[in-house]
Amino acid sequence: MTEFGLRLAISLTQIAAVMVIVVVTVLILTLAERKVLGWMQDRMGPMEVGPYGILQPFADAIKLFFKEDIVPAGASKFLFTMAPILCLIPTFIGFAVIPWGPNWTFEIDGISVKPFIISDINIGILYILAFASLAAYGIILGGWASNSKYSLLGGLRSAAQIISYELNVGLSIVGVLILAGSLSLVKITDAQGGGFWNWYLFALPAPQIFAFVVYVISVVAETNRVPFDLPEAESELVAGFFTEYSGLRFAYFFLAEYANMMLVSCVAAALFLGGWQAPYPGTIMELLGLASWSWIESTMWFAVKTYSFLFLFFWLRATLPRLRYDQLMRFGWKVMLPIALGNIVVTSIAVFFYQQMK
Amino acid sequence: MASTATTKRLNLVEWFKTITFYEILVGMKATLSHLLNYRPITLQYPHEKRTLPDNYRGMLALLRYDDGTEKCVGCDLCEAACPSRVIRVVSAEVPGEPTKRYSKEYYMDMTRCLFCGMCVDACPVDALGMTREFEWAVYDKRQLHLNKQQLLAIGDRSFPVREKRLELQHPNVAFFNVAFKHVPPKPD
Repeated sequence: MTEFGLRLAISLTQIAAVMVIVVVTVLILTLAERKVLGWMQDRMGPMEVGPYGILQPFADAIKLFFKEDIVPAGASKFLFTMAPILCLIPTFIGFAVIPWGPNWTFEIDGISVKPFIISDINIGILYILAFASLAAYGIILGGWASNSKYSLLGGLRSAAQIISYELNVGLSIVGVLILAGSLSLVKITDAQGGGFWNWYLFALPAPQIFAFVVYVISVVAETNRVPFDLPEAESELVAGFFTEYSGLRFAYFFLAEYANMMLVSCVAAALFLGGWQAPYPGTIMELLGLASWSWIESTMWFAVKTYSFLFLFFWLRATLPRLRYDQLMRFGWKVMLPIALGNIVVTSIAVFFYQQMK
Repeated sequence: MASTATTKRLNLVEWFKTITFYEILVGMKATLSHLLNYRPITLQYPHEKRTLPDNYRGMLALLRYDDGTEKCVGCDLCEAACPSRVIRVVSAEVPGEPTKRYSKEYYMDMTRCLFCGMCVDACPVDALGMTREFEWAVYDKRQLHLNKQQLLAIGDRSFPVREKRLELQHPNVAFFNVAFKHVPPKPD
């Protein structure tokens, strides 16, 4: 086999594995969200399909798959078809730079392979932000192409909201980038090793607690989740930008929303919560003399952090009512943006003096 | 001056609560406590059913005496009592017994019934009963237009223990509309 063929085979295997993980997680999330919401509201959630309703995601998937695919009269057919794909692909692409486990390198026939990351590019976080912004195109084009005023209003709201809060996401991350001195998610995660006091949420010289709060609020708004779910406010806009979508195209939007939630959770875990690093120095597997198996522990920690963050999404959804649109915009520009900017200033000064003192 | 100081301190407290998202945290604590003390009030309806109260007013039924004869005497009082005009009675003489009447036809349009039970109260011979049936969803609402045979069948399956005839319950009391078999018939 040629070197190119081998590289291609390895990459495709990694991509397939990550895609499977993402899709399975989305399936779990759809069920977990309904279950957690139900439990928090003294209900049971889905209980009919399978024992305790655990097969509900498959029932939903089958139903959506066999539903009639309706294109409304007067819709721009090309854009109507493109919009869900435009929404889904940027989200899935982002997972390429997420480090799922330790930064190990294998040699296979002289080719170095990193098993826990598809592509370790040195601008990882910038790449994720860039593609996350592209998803706004899918939403606004889907809203426009539907030839429905509810869809259009939902799409406009969504675009405005995503652009406003994307800014805060970007600025809240800058503090971490200053501390790490790198845009690569692998390097940022590596720098947080050796216990939870080294995570950038708590790390000296500038704990990023405020940045983390800004990040959490902004990504909730960016993923169009409660309490910032104005683009799909059913009491005002039927269902927002995907009002006219049905069947598999609706499933794409749905998949994109949940995959986006997972992506921002992974980024939050990698940037603020140490990624795959355990909250104690080293790993238990190494102490047991199983150093080559420590990746299991590391990936488990990454999963725990990501799922805790996803649980926060459900928790917020069960608790909070929806904001008004002017409140949303005022909160984003007048509260979140100054805090994020102030955090950058404070972090820069702290890092500068910290390096002077060394 | 003192009041100004109090307001200022309160404002400080309010400000602190705002920046720490105090109110949101209170709400999130409430939802989390419900998650941890998970006691669902859901009833898995088709699989488990709630216990009905003793005086539950369900589907209406026509009743029979223990010898299988119908109780209904065709007096139309139920029709008069019904506020939603559910009931239609066609009363007739019992063939061969001009003093006795019965309901030749008896219809209930259950799509309109509001289960108030006034027809049951109005009946002088307790010929109507309210059963504990409530699962009467049908695909065609014309199926809810019940005739006498259907109402009697509902009564048969819901009230298996039947009353004796009135004259046998109270042998010394004279009843209207009842054949007195112990009294010799009038000569023609």
